[in-house]
Amino acid sequence: MTRFLSFISRTYVTLVFCIVFMPMAIILVISFSADSYLSFPPSGWSLKWYGTVLGNTSFMQGFRNSAIIAGVVAALSLALGLPAAYALVRLDFPGRALIRSLVIAPLVLPAMMLGLGILMVFTPAGLVATYPGLVLAHLVMTLPFSIRILQTALSNLGTDVDEAAMTLGARPLQVFMQITLPRLTPGVIASSAIALILSFDEIVLSLFIVGPRLQTLPVALYRYVDERTDPMVAVLAVLMIALSLAIVLVVERSVGFAKAFGR
Amino acid sequence: MKLASSPAHITIDKLTFDYGGERPAVDALSFDIARGEFIGLLGPSGCGKSTTLRMFAGLLAPTSGQIIMGGENIVSRPPWERNLGLVFQSYALFPHMTVAQNVAFGLRLRKVGKEESASRVAEALRAVRLEGFGGRRPAELSGGQQQRVAIARAIVIEPEILLLDEPLSNLDARLRDEMRFEIRDIQSRTGITTLFVTHDQQEALTMCDRIAVMNGGRLEQIGTPVEVYDKAATPFVAGFIGRANSVPATLSFGTGAPRLDHEGQALPAPGVDELPKDAGEGAKMSAMVRPHAIQLSRPDAGGLTARVIRSVFVGSVIEVELELGGGQKLVAELRPGSEEAQLAQPGADVALSWRSTDMRIFAA
Repeated sequence: MTRFLSFISRTYVTLVFCIVFMPMAIILVISFSADSYLSFPPSGWSLKWYGTVLGNTSFMQGFRNSAIIAGVVAALSLALGLPAAYALVRLDFPGRALIRSLVIAPLVLPAMMLGLGILMVFTPAGLVATYPGLVLAHLVMTLPFSIRILQTALSNLGTDVDEAAMTLGARPLQVFMQITLPRLTPGVIASSAIALILSFDEIVLSLFIVGPRLQTLPVALYRYVDERTDPMVAVLAVLMIALSLAIVLVVERSVGFAKAFGR
Repeated sequence: MKLASSPAHITIDKLTFDYGGERPAVDALSFDIARGEFIGLLGPSGCGKSTTLRMFAGLLAPTSGQIIMGGENIVSRPPWERNLGLVFQSYALFPHMTVAQNVAFGLRLRKVGKEESASRVAEALRAVRLEGFGGRRPAELSGGQQQRVAIARAIVIEPEILLLDEPLSNLDARLRDEMRFEIRDIQSRTGITTLFVTHDQQEALTMCDRIAVMNGGRLEQIGTPVEVYDKAATPFVAGFIGRANSVPATLSFGTGAPRLDHEGQALPAPGVDELPKDAGEGAKMSAMVRPHAIQLSRPDAGGLTARVIRSVFVGSVIEVELELGGGQKLVAELRPGSEEAQLAQPGADVALSWRSTDMRIFAA
């Protein structure tokens, strides 16, 4: 009986993994296709589509924009998220509980609604299709995550160690820089990595506010798929997955994912 | 080793912390601490002892009252300007620093030179018997070793006062006994005035010069371990420190000498000095007597008679449960093999007595 159950559960887990990873596997296979349209299985193999992607100015421009935006968004998410998380965990002020729940509101609101709202505000402000505009829009998505991750990491640290430093003569800023921040490193890395990946992959909000002057990689890809379907999309998808995976691996290697998320 | 420095005569004056609950967490606490003294702050959880310690450390601002250290009220001083050493129950070491860096932290903030710092760190580590551990990380040490690093880190700055917050509760029983003597030993050698917070009466009795017993935010009694054990000032102290039997009794002065009766039976006669001052004829009292002070004799010996309910051998003593005429239960501790122990057969009638000086009498 137990053996039967264990067989069932193993089959179930395998099935779930297949459903999750099959599309990625298919895309990976297609990216090495020699055909000039999306078909599975490919009739021949080549690396030519990788070459085409690297030579495509629209994609390369999009990649450059996305990388710049993601980098700035990750840095700002940390710079804005850390003080916010600190205040929400360590300081006692009226309305703290309310702000705690409001912080995650952007995650539960439909992205379409957010995008529309952002467009309404950005158009008169002249922020549409600008770097600051895209960075601001992406921050709406990444800040809740950053604050939540840093909040968890901070409350897991407790206050004893900081208080010990204080009684030994450390002023609040010294405590933060020399004790709290070093102990918070896993959370800092994790929240920055999440912000980087979220911003780099962001499409819904971006669609509202990109323009011919400034386009991100996901938007360029989306627009391209709208018109044509050749293995170039598969190549781009593979490259984007590889990038996210690389970031995740860096986090895993440097601090460990479980630790980074404060468990 | 010369760690004790500036005068550290400390006075706590009507220290109060009220967070708006039913009653203040700490209620007008007042006592003095002599230089170099090892004071225990003892009480059940929620009695306000940790709150008091946090006010000492500057981590909590008192509602009112003063803490006078070196002739100056320090309550408005932030923790980093108080020059005190705090050892947490959780040790609270800096995990990203080595043992030596942990210990040197306070010296670094005081801008002590590299050479002097190194020699003082070495000295402090020697004091806690951790020479050669300087290069390790806290995570590589056992609980007892981490505890000693925390103590070294606190004493190396030559604090006015060393605050110990339940430092032994996270250790296993055997280590706890060892650390008890070790902490006391370090304190005697360094001469640092120490405030030791604990809920464990055994720790307080064995380690402290004096014990301040707290209950419900108030100071019940402060005195040497012998004083609080033998001369409990309140029923709470008598019941909290060691075991005590409490027998309700009525006071009368018949022929002049005071007399206590329980359900028509006379208790061993109390001395006049031991009665509360305002106790008059007919007053309801409560007589407290330690289990080991009770003596058993044959029922024909006269005095208080009781019936033996059961008798349990627990190693060093035999615990005997007794019942007085009116159903009042008492516990006595007898030496195994003694004549008394022979009398303690379940169901047997015995006579009880104790010396009047072993009895504490409180108004009921």
